[in-house]
Order: sequence, then structure tokens, then C-alpha cells
Amino acid sequence: MMHGKFIKLFPLPLLLMLLFLGISTALQAAEPGVSNVADRIAPVGRIQLAGEPPLEAESEVAAAEEAVEPMAAPRPMRSNYPDIGVSSRAIVWVLAQLHLFFGALVLAVPLFVLIIELVGLFTGDERYDDMAHEFMKISLTGFSITAIFGGSLTLALFLLYPDFMAYMMHVFGAQLLVYAGLFFFETFFLYTYYYGWNAFRYGNKKWVHLSLGLMLNASGLTIMVLANSWATFMMAPSGVNEVGAVVGNIWEVMKGPLWNPINLHRFIANIAFGGAVVGAYAAFKFLSTNDPEKRAHYDWMGYTSNFIAILAFLPLPFAGYWLMAEIYAYSQQMGITAMGGILAWLFILQAVLIGTILLAGNFYLWAGMSRTDGSERYKWLVKFIALVLVVTFLIWITPHTLMLSASEISLLGGTHHSILGPLGIMPAKNIAVNLMLIVTFLSFQLYRRSDKVATVSWAPAGNALMVAIYVVAIANIIFLGVYYGYFTNTVYKVGSSVAQVVSTLVVIISGIIIDTLMFKNAKILPSHWGRIPDRAQYALFALPIAFTWLMGLMGYVRSSVKTHWHVYTVMKDNSPDNFIPAIAYAGNMITLVTVLFLLCLLFMFWVANLSETRQVKPVTAGKGA
Amino acid sequence: MENQVEEKLGKQMADKRKMGIFSTLLSVVIAFAIVLMLFYGLNHLIMGMQGLPLNMDLTPAG
Amino acid sequence: MKILFKTLGFSLGLTLVFSLLTYLLPQMKGEAPVDVKVDLGSLTMDDFVALGEDLFKNKGTCTLCHKPPPLGRAPDIQGEDMVALSAERLADERYQGEAKDAAGYILESMLDPNKYVVATWGKKGSNDSESPMPVVDKAPIELSSMEMDAITAWLQAKDGNEVTVALPTAEEAAEVAAAPAGESAATSAPAATADEAMAKYACLTCHAMDSNDTLVGPGLVDVGERLTADEIRQSILDPNAVMVEGFPPAMPADFGTKMTVNELQMIVDFLAEKKG
Repeated sequence: MMHGKFIKLFPLPLLLMLLFLGISTALQAAEPGVSNVADRIAPVGRIQLAGEPPLEAESEVAAAEEAVEPMAAPRPMRSNYPDIGVSSRAIVWVLAQLHLFFGALVLAVPLFVLIIELVGLFTGDERYDDMAHEFMKISLTGFSITAIFGGSLTLALFLLYPDFMAYMMHVFGAQLLVYAGLFFFETFFLYTYYYGWNAFRYGNKKWVHLSLGLMLNASGLTIMVLANSWATFMMAPSGVNEVGAVVGNIWEVMKGPLWNPINLHRFIANIAFGGAVVGAYAAFKFLSTNDPEKRAHYDWMGYTSNFIAILAFLPLPFAGYWLMAEIYAYSQQMGITAMGGILAWLFILQAVLIGTILLAGNFYLWAGMSRTDGSERYKWLVKFIALVLVVTFLIWITPHTLMLSASEISLLGGTHHSILGPLGIMPAKNIAVNLMLIVTFLSFQLYRRSDKVATVSWAPAGNALMVAIYVVAIANIIFLGVYYGYFTNTVYKVGSSVAQVVSTLVVIISGIIIDTLMFKNAKILPSHWGRIPDRAQYALFALPIAFTWLMGLMGYVRSSVKTHWHVYTVMKDNSPDNFIPAIAYAGNMITLVTVLFLLCLLFMFWVANLSETRQVKPVTAGKGA
Repeated sequence: MENQVEEKLGKQMADKRKMGIFSTLLSVVIAFAIVLMLFYGLNHLIMGMQGLPLNMDLTPAG
Repeated sequence: MKILFKTLGFSLGLTLVFSLLTYLLPQMKGEAPVDVKVDLGSLTMDDFVALGEDLFKNKGTCTLCHKPPPLGRAPDIQGEDMVALSAERLADERYQGEAKDAAGYILESMLDPNKYVVATWGKKGSNDSESPMPVVDKAPIELSSMEMDAITAWLQAKDGNEVTVALPTAEEAAEVAAAPAGESAATSAPAATADEAMAKYACLTCHAMDSNDTLVGPGLVDVGERLTADEIRQSILDPNAVMVEGFPPAMPADFGTKMTVNELQMIVDFLAEKKG
């Protein structure tokens, strides 16, 4: 009884506290203490002679000359930014992030829904079709929520950053009309796809339905890549000259150096995120019922969601690596601002979050092994996987350089600890990340194998090959990291990390190929859906929370590498918020958006369930349901 | 149910025994040899593609 | 309902853990570069050198790459005697620039880093013919020539070498500042007198000079009594900072980038003398 009460009492104050923390952060004046506007007027950071007007850098002189004909990027002064008392950035931050969360969700769900529908079609198993339909149902309200936050974001941007938005409108021009037009397409396909589900269920009509799903995804993805081009234009502008005057056509403006890396990264991350979110729904439904049939259904749904989330998550570090490499190629300065400057500390948080995701995903797979009787064969491996995960996780979060006082530095004999130092630099972290991914894939593979017994004649040879690939790949990754990372020059060090990534990919791809061939016509041992401990479901809540927080964190980094620029090198940010905030401030903001997202999500799920609920007709007055 | 599983597992074990310890060992050795060569070639290939040639003993060349 | 509270509590608790973690990390802000005022009247060479060091470590963002090994992504110029190195590099056959002395070499390497790329530090695949270093007088760094001189002075002074760059003079500053107006608007040459300057920027359209009558902005016949010269200057450079009550924010805010040093000074002097 006491326990139950505590549980009931616990979350509400916590919710209020987190909301208070976040909101009070957001409501802080942009920068207390600096009230004198003239102290920080444009141009930013110019050293000037006292009593003289600001000097112009020579590049701007030349630039101003060129800019006579096409419109250059505006150079707003501090006073051109509307001041509404609270930080404009905080408002835009919250709205943009919520828009992005829901946008990611509603882009991802139709994608894997379509794939699940196809699986259902080819296997002839109607359970897939029903599950796909249910995924659509629970995310349906998400489309409206995305639109609401998108509208609010646009409004806030035009109100709070008028010069910036005027410039963006000028640069992107007609593309915005295309963007708006796509919404009509998406809405049309969304509703026909969802409401047409049972109307076009069998035979040729099913293909009509699948085509609708394909068109829904096509319009959704186009919307995403168009919106991405705005973000990447702000980071690495293309199609404009030094002062931001448009010199190329819209395609050249969109096709910046970071556009495709961001497209790929967001595309993959959205799938992982979407899978994690619907997994939490399934976990919640699983926990709230005692009906074995329903528990089996939601266990299976939760398993599928986790499968999608982890499978999409595994290639994500490689997409991130590509993005970061392109950032370095575009501007070494920007790359180092992210990875070696003040933002570098955030990558420790990133490591914690990714570690949480991998541990939760692995834990869920291990717990799920209890569903099958054949899993006993592999259980002994779990403790080794867990050990590798923990050790590599610890290496990963070892900080690179520590902030130390002078006495501490002399005590350590330098800013780098003699033992921890070597673990803090990139080669050690690369080894750790690749090993984490490999053992996560191992968990995954063991789980997939746990209900099967191979019948092909070459199974022992196949197993020997698989074991050899794991052992040699792990040895190779350690060798590459240690040898090139510590005993050769920087160029080989960086080059070897690519070889490490390829080794990991070899394991994943060969694992999938070997298992697909080896377990063709395999004996299937009985699985008992629903036979999983309740505590395993909490892993399905940890996943979306960590994903949401991680997206908030990395979004903050992505936006902050621009430092005091609206559009990097082209349009300066002279607003009161043109600094990179401290980590705790950012942490509060991210927590605020995560909690708000959680609340909106609860609303979305509640609405989805409302359609199933039917009020019992009151028999007599006062005795209603 | 569980008996069935054990039966299957037992049959698999029996299959393995039938192959004999020697041929099992052989297939493991062959597998390792193939995979080692694969990764050795892979290291050369990937580093070479980035303009970072290696010597035969994998030390940086050039 | 109990499940809802349990799962919600778990989720919020995890969120709390993540946000608490942010408090454990160092709390550093990435400030945008802030204006620094240099008073020419009291500027000594030591100040100029110190300014150069500050620029090197902060606004110039040089230390992002120029770090001691093994952290650096560029030569460790803090730890090396750049004057001595310059002599070696100028004599190197790979050198392609026109500099004759250390100061010239250092300045040139900031403006055109490709003139001499230190071996092994070139862009990958360029065989040390192309430098990964950004040009420092271009965005996003945008150092002025005075600022680059200060950095050169520091690089010379830090190893005990003689500083050969000269302190900035008022004329130089005026020249640099005059350049935009002179070049970008060929039709409007710099004004020679206060009257010309006020005509050029159309002050008289909104301000009456011979009475306190209000046209669009306040009359300025006795402005020298109401405001000091510095306040007048501020009102011109950032008109919306301090507003006379009852006036709309109609005055252009871009005079700071349009006027030359001399024009502004003439107008300020002229107005400061107007005491009714």
C-alpha cells in the first residue's frame, strides 16, 4: 500500500520540478548584466580605436562593392532584434525542437509501417498488417501536432528574427512554395493511406494501398530534405557570395556540402527514434494488461519496435562520422569548435546517452531470450557481452583533457593523465565504439538464433566462419586503433578509423548473410510471446527518453557550431543570444523539451486509444460509466 | 515440449561428434585463415583507397 | 493508472539524471567576440603585444589548431620561435611569397597561407601545396589589418625578438575607415567640412540646426549644452540606444558603417560647439 502510494506521489512533483527547471531557464533574460546595448553593437568583436567609429575589415570593403546589385545578407544591429523580455532563442529553441521531434516521428513511422505492410503481404501473415495499421493509428495525431509546432515556430521566427527570416525568404524564395505544396500532398496521402487500410486490403487493391504509402513517404522525405537544406545553408552556405548575395540558382543554394550528410543522418536517426517511441507505447500497453493474448501481441509489437530502433541505430555512428568529416572538410575551424572547443564536453554526455541506448537495447534482447527454449545455448555469452559493453563504455566516457587547477596539473605532470590520458584520445574511443557496436550486433544475432536450429549440412563450418569473423574483426579493430593511433602519424591514425568502421560493417553484413543462408528452412523452436519479465519493458522506456534527449543535445551542438553567425560567414548574429550557452543551461532546455515532448506524446497515445473506447450507455440516471 | 528441444539439440551434438574432432578443428583453422587473409587485404585496400599505402608488414609506406 | 505513474516516474527520473549530468561538466560559455576599445593616446607597445596575444587565443581562434603536439592540427607556433623559423622558410625553395622579413612573412602567412605550407601540415592529398588554414581577414574570423599587426607583434615579442611592426596611428585608422565610403560609393567622396558632411548624410532633413523646433527629430541648436561629445557620438552611431522622449525610432542606425572617421569627428565637433 505504502509502496503504491509512493509510486503515485513520485512522478507528479518530479514532473513539476523538471518543468519548472526548464521553464525558469527559458524565461531567464537572455544575458543578465549586459543592459547597455551600445556595449555590444555590431560589427561583432571588432577592435576599434576609442572615440572612433568602428573600422571596416577590408574584405567587407571588397564585398560591399560586389553587393551593389544582388541583395547582400542584412547586418542587423542589436537594436534590430525585437526584445520581448525573455530570450528569443529559448522560445525558438523549444518550438523548433518540438517540431523536430514530432516531424521525425511522423516521417519515420510511415516508413517502417510500409515495410511491415510489405512483410505482411509477402509472408501472408495478417498480424503484420494489423500491427502496421496500429502503428499508423497511434501516430496519426502526430501529424497535426507537427503542423501546429511548425506553424508556431515559423511565427516565432518571423516575429523574433525578422531580418534573418527576410534574408532566408529572399535566398530560398520559390522553394518555400514547393514546400507548402508538399504538405497538401502529404495530407492527402496520409488520410487515404490510413483510412483506406481496410478498404484496400486484399489483391490488387492492396497494391493501390501500398502505392499510397509509398507516395506518403515520398512526400514526407521530400519535405525533410527541403527543410534540411535550410539548416545546412545556415551552417555551410552555398550558392551565395561572400556577403550573402545570391549568385547561384536554388539548386546550388540547397546543394551545400553538408546537405547530404545531414539528410542521411536524420533519415536513419528518425527511423531509430520512431521505433523507440512506438516501442514505449507497446511496453505501456503490455504492462497495463493481464490478458495473455494482449500481452503476447504487445510483447511482439514491443520487440518489433526495439528491433527497428536498434537496427537503425547501428549504422548511425557511421553516418555521424561522415557528417563530422564533411564539417571538417568544409571548415576545420567549425569541426574543431565542435569536437575540440567548448562543445567537446558535450560528447561525453553523448557517450553516456548512447551507452544508455546500447545497454537498454542489449538488456531487452537478453531478457527477451526467455521467450524461447533454445536460448539456453547462448546464455553463457551474455555476461561477456555485458562486460565488454561496460568496459568500452567507461573508456568512451573518459574525458580527453580535464579542466584542472595549476596544482593538479603539476601533480599529474601535465594536463593529460598518464594512464587515463591515452584512453581519452580518439583511437581508444574509436576502438570502444566499434566494439560496442559489434557486441550489440552479437546480442542481436544470438537473439535471432535463439529459436532456430540450423538444418543445412554446412552449419558447423558456417559457425566456425562466423566465430572467426568476430574474433579477427575484434582483433583487427584493436590492432588498427593501438598501432596506427599511438605509434604512427596523424594521417594514418585518421585513416585507420575508416578501416575500423569497415571491419565493424563486415561483421554486421557477413553476420546477416551467413545467418540468412544458414537458417533457411531451419527448425523453429517454439516461442512464447509475452513470456518476458516486466522489468524488461522499462528498457523500452529508457530508449525513447535517451533518444529524445540525445536528439536535443546533438541539435544544440549542430546549431552552436555556427557560433555568432546566423548564416556562417555570411550573416552575423548580433542578437543578445549570440553566445554559446553553458552546458547546464542547455541541459535544462533539453530536459524541458523532452518533458514537453513526453506530455504531447501521452496526449497522442491517449487520443489513439480514445477511438477504441466506447462509453457504456447509462442505464439509469446517476449510474453512468 | 522441452524433451523435443533436448532431442533436437542432442541430435545436433551427435552430428558434430560424427564429424570428428579432426575435421572440426580443420574447419576452424581454415575459417580463421580465410578471415585473417580477408582482413589483411581489407586493411591494405581501405588504407590504400585513402592514399595511405602500407608495407607488407602493415607499417606505413611512404 | 498505477502503471502510468510508474512508467512516467521512470521516464522523468531518467530525464532528471541526464540533466543533472550537465551540472557535473565545466560550465563554459562561448561568448561572441566583444568590442574592445583601444585608446591610441595611451597605447604602448606592451599593450599592443598583449592585445596580439589575446587576439591569437580568442577572437583569432588560432589556438583551435595551433596547439602543442600531439593535440595540434597545425604547427605549434606558440612553442616555436617564429622569427627564427621565418628566416629558414624564406630561404626555402618551396617558398612562393614576396615577403622579405619575419614580420612580412607572418602577415603574409595569415593573408595567404598557401604561400608556404609547413611540411606534413598541408591538406590531405595536396602534397603540402595547399594549406587547410582559413584566411584570417575573411569571414568567419575577419581580423582587421591593425589586429593582424598586433598578432605579428606578439609573435615577435614572445621569444624576445625585436618588434618591428609599428603601432597603429590615427591616420592609418582613418584611412582604413575611410576606405568603404570612398570605394563603395564612388559618387560620394569624403566630405571636407562639417557642413558638407551633414549635407551628405541629410541630417538637416530631420533636424533643425538653428532652432529647437521639431521636424522629425529634435532640433539641435543647443545640443552641445545637453550632451557631451561622446554622447553625441553614441547617438549618431546607435540612435536607438538613448532616445529623446516622444520621438519615433526613425533615425538610420547605419551611420557607423557609412561615415568616415573624419566625417563623424567633424559632425561631433560641430554639434558639441552648438550651445544655443
